[in-house]
Amino acid sequence: MSIALLTLIILGLSALGYLLGRQRALAAVEGDARKLHSLPSYYGASVFLFTALPAFLTLLVWLIAQPLLIERSVAGMITPADIPAGTTLSLVMSDVQRIAVGTEQLVADGMSETELAALQADPAGLRSALGRLGVSVAETTTPNVLEAAKAYRASASLGHFGMIVAALALAVAGLLISAFRVTPELRARNIVESFIRVLLIGASTVAILTTLGIVFSLVFESWHFFQLYPAKDFFFSLTWNPKFGGGSSLGVWPLVWGTLYVSFVALVIAVPLGILSAIYLSEYASPTVRSVAKPLLEILAGIPSIVYGLFALVTVGPLLRDWLAMPLGLGASSSSVATAGLVMGIMLIPYVSSLSDDIINSVPQSLRDGSYAIGATPSETVRQVVLPAALPGIVGAVLLAASRAIGETMIVVMGAGAAAKLSMNPFEAMTTVTVKIVSQLTGDTEFASPETLVAFALGLTLFVFTLGLNILALFIVRKYREQYE
Amino acid sequence: MTEISQQAEPPVKSLFESDLRTRRRNAAETRFRLYGMAAVAMGIFALIFLLVSVLGNGVSSFRQTSIELQVTLDEAVLDKTGSRDPEVMKKVTTIGYGKILDQALADTLAAHDIDVSALTPKQLSGMKSDEAPRRLRDLVLADPSLVGQTITFHALATSRIDGFEKGRVTMESAKLDSNISVEQLEVAQAMKDKGLLSMPFNWGFFTSADASELRPEAAGVGVAMLGSLYMMLIVLVLSLPIGVAASIYLEELAPQNRWTDIIEVNIANLAAVPAIVYGILALALFINFLGLPQSAPMVGGLVLTLMTLPTIIIATRAALKAVPPSIRDAALGVGASRMQTIFHHVLPLAMPGILTGTILGLARALGESAPLLLIGMVAFVKDYPSAPPAGLMEPASALPVQVYQWTQRADPAFVERASGAIIVLLVFLVAMNATAILLRRRFERRW
Amino acid sequence: MNLMQTPVSDTTALKPRITASGVQVYYDTNHALKDVSVNILDRTTTAFIGPSGCGKSTFLRCLNRMNDTVASARVEGKILLDGQDIYDKRVDPVQLRARIGMVFQKPNPFPKSIYDNVAYGPRIHGLARNKAELDEIVETSLRRAALWNEVKDRLSAPGTGLSGGQQQRLCIARAVATGPEVLLMDEPCSALDPIATAQVEALIDELREQYSVVIVTHSMQQAARVSQKTAFFHLGNLVEYGDTQQIFTNPQDPRTESYITGRIG
Repeated sequence: MSIALLTLIILGLSALGYLLGRQRALAAVEGDARKLHSLPSYYGASVFLFTALPAFLTLLVWLIAQPLLIERSVAGMITPADIPAGTTLSLVMSDVQRIAVGTEQLVADGMSETELAALQADPAGLRSALGRLGVSVAETTTPNVLEAAKAYRASASLGHFGMIVAALALAVAGLLISAFRVTPELRARNIVESFIRVLLIGASTVAILTTLGIVFSLVFESWHFFQLYPAKDFFFSLTWNPKFGGGSSLGVWPLVWGTLYVSFVALVIAVPLGILSAIYLSEYASPTVRSVAKPLLEILAGIPSIVYGLFALVTVGPLLRDWLAMPLGLGASSSSVATAGLVMGIMLIPYVSSLSDDIINSVPQSLRDGSYAIGATPSETVRQVVLPAALPGIVGAVLLAASRAIGETMIVVMGAGAAAKLSMNPFEAMTTVTVKIVSQLTGDTEFASPETLVAFALGLTLFVFTLGLNILALFIVRKYREQYE
Repeated sequence: MTEISQQAEPPVKSLFESDLRTRRRNAAETRFRLYGMAAVAMGIFALIFLLVSVLGNGVSSFRQTSIELQVTLDEAVLDKTGSRDPEVMKKVTTIGYGKILDQALADTLAAHDIDVSALTPKQLSGMKSDEAPRRLRDLVLADPSLVGQTITFHALATSRIDGFEKGRVTMESAKLDSNISVEQLEVAQAMKDKGLLSMPFNWGFFTSADASELRPEAAGVGVAMLGSLYMMLIVLVLSLPIGVAASIYLEELAPQNRWTDIIEVNIANLAAVPAIVYGILALALFINFLGLPQSAPMVGGLVLTLMTLPTIIIATRAALKAVPPSIRDAALGVGASRMQTIFHHVLPLAMPGILTGTILGLARALGESAPLLLIGMVAFVKDYPSAPPAGLMEPASALPVQVYQWTQRADPAFVERASGAIIVLLVFLVAMNATAILLRRRFERRW
Repeated sequence: MNLMQTPVSDTTALKPRITASGVQVYYDTNHALKDVSVNILDRTTTAFIGPSGCGKSTFLRCLNRMNDTVASARVEGKILLDGQDIYDKRVDPVQLRARIGMVFQKPNPFPKSIYDNVAYGPRIHGLARNKAELDEIVETSLRRAALWNEVKDRLSAPGTGLSGGQQQRLCIARAVATGPEVLLMDEPCSALDPIATAQVEALIDELREQYSVVIVTHSMQQAARVSQKTAFFHLGNLVEYGDTQQIFTNPQDPRTESYITGRIG
């Protein structure tokens, strides 16, 4: 019985429960709904929930837990001799799984169990039968692996059967018990509302779960990495030179340097332009100019970073190379720190200007009046009164922009280059943490080598760094807001 | 005291003449204002430059050069049995159709007195796209009765001829290019003069899948659009209910305690976690741990959902907050339960705001590419995924990732494609944002 | 304090500092001030009284062109400072405001140190040639605002850390530091407690020795206590202007009388 069919049956039972609950409630008061504690539909809904939820929860847990449990028990059947040189247990286990699924498919295609048993005794025949289904089995596959696949399939079908029985039993039990409990006094609405409440709480924990998921996956895989590669070299080595044959040096500093350099160039462009724009728009511009210019600048924030990446690659890179780098003799590469930094700077302008604009606007008018009344010009007022008052908030805005710059991926992937270097020349191609995460994890990823796993350590570095900046920025901005509220 | 105030008096007493210092200060004022104006102008200039550069590179991808040929569909080659049975005719591969097209090309050129003596047969054959025989084959298999007739067929020209038509390829660049020769371009020029080359609207760009490195002229964004659509459906179906439920709990029901605080700080931080980190999460959790397939829209949709949730929660909470407490008091006052109050009164009133926030969140998700790179969506996908739900697990591409992939190819013709795909992406984004703005305008309510 | 004890001084001998004639103010289409003509005398405290929204603050803000910072405001008529029209095109409001200082309803010290708050005006107008002179100006101004003794040991502390009354006196010191000829005060005591109010009122009386002071107030008692001349505004009109004592004891206009006796307000 497939999962979809099972789901349908449980839903059918639940719908039956709804009708039954409603009908029983109405019957108990001889059709006079006024005598019920809740509206009749709540009685139906409560039976529906008691029928569906336990069954579906069991189903979900079972579906996640079963493969893990079976895999663990079957893995015991594989001896070190079954693992060919150059592969790992997990690769062999995925073979086991493929063979098990393949044999299942053979049965589904009409092969009887006796035929199958005969086939399983003959590895070559099994191999060709599976090959016809597109499941390739290597010549080197040992009998142990085939046995494990057999056991895997047996446990899986047993587990599947158990799951169907358990889910259906729970659904029927829930239906009967809850329908039996329906009396006019039953607070059906409260029951349904408690269910909804739990559902709402569950939804709000998704955010927590996401964070936990991020932290766990980063920490777990990074820990893996540091098992294979000394942490000392990662944090203190000055060379980045991954070799997929082994013997790589994976020092993080060239990447951190590239990241910080690109972010610095971006901020050098975005911060003055952003703050000056914010000042102009909030202190000088007429309402008409403001209503046109502000949304236009904000479009820059809505453009996906892939567009900026293409802009860097196709337009800005060659432009900088032909008009600045080559004439100055500083390099002939179109991807460079300057290219990525300039384009990223453009992208960050609205991040700085929007937040700064809000913050400048929240500086009380009375301070400006005080300054004007002494005879200060608007620019003196801005520079000496408004900006100092808004400074903490603006610092927060800049920190948020910095965190964006450090975490930005597409622009640097397409604009900064791939060479890990510790250089001061902004027209040279350099690379960043995010670029290397992408390059180490795209393509054929095999999670056993330090060259791949290093991406997780890089991810962890990036996460810690941006999280720190964000928390600091949010803290500063929040403190600042309190000051004028 | 008096000396000070006398010192303090400005040297000029008349209001009508400003002193030197005031003039300097006013000049500084003007300069400062100009700096501000310049900053705004530079921001807007950057925006315009960006858009013009992308549009300029990409608009030409919406038209594609094709060669008008009179093709004789020879029965002896295409349907030896004469049965006109598509199943039998499938045995003839594109190589057979290629030969027919080559013949048609030679005949057509000869009929128009175009001298092709400078070209080798291979060069002549290379004027058309490798994709053209496949299209001809599809055409014939769809309508076997064409066999034996002579039809007018618009064969795709190779990307270099297309580039020559669009001005990207010149005689000078052809000298350095192993994929095209000056002689071929001269023939192309002659064909153009005789009206054999045309540049119709490139419908194939919207319906085709990606094509291999060697035939940029056939590459399209069809699969990428469908993949993006699948992912947006998943994001919508998951993030809207979860986001709204979480917001209702946090805004309407949650007690003010440490747990709620933690959730709120969490949401604020999640909104600022770099996209690439979500990609790592998806790789470790969905693909490695849960064993979902790579390149699947399902995985992409899930990771984009996680990324979009904070945006939707923040927008929904703002919308809920904007509903005045008096509405809640009124409902509670007639004896409604808290849930009834929320679902009957507060939520419907907040709906326009929630939808606006959701559309904006979706627009952001649509343009996101970094996390998709890590879950294998950069793979070369030639076939359309099937209809949902099965199709959600089959390999697909996504618009922004397709752009990235094209930029990684050596052939410069793909840059035009990438820019064209960006235009498609931007059109969708503009449409979504416009919808959000309209929705806000239409339903905005001031309390 | 009782009205009869108000110090009486002879104001007839003093020359007018500011002469306003036919002033009209519009906010968009709203006619906020209608045809006001008044003479503000030198070395005198002039009080503007009247119910809320009567135009007294609006008129005050015309006197140093603070209305320029409100985009929708439009001013017509003539206001002369020492015979020169302050709305003349050649007038730089920046220079004008250095000569006509202003103190606001709510104390608004800048988020800077006490010293920098007071030194702000002298610095931007370049009134001091060196640090010693600036120190001197700051000290004089703080003394004049009767704040020196309270803050002399913590000049580098932030101005926002002072009490409400101290903050308002700091703002007065800040206004005085540019050496103005006229000091405009817009309900300077409305945010202060009675003790701080008494301190500021005493200060106003001292300041009158050197400057022409214009004060907008809601409190008739305060007007009677500190001013020599009083102008009563109602619905954008200047109803009555005269010696304070005369206004409070023998008003000419029935509207003034109604307001003073509390029948309108």
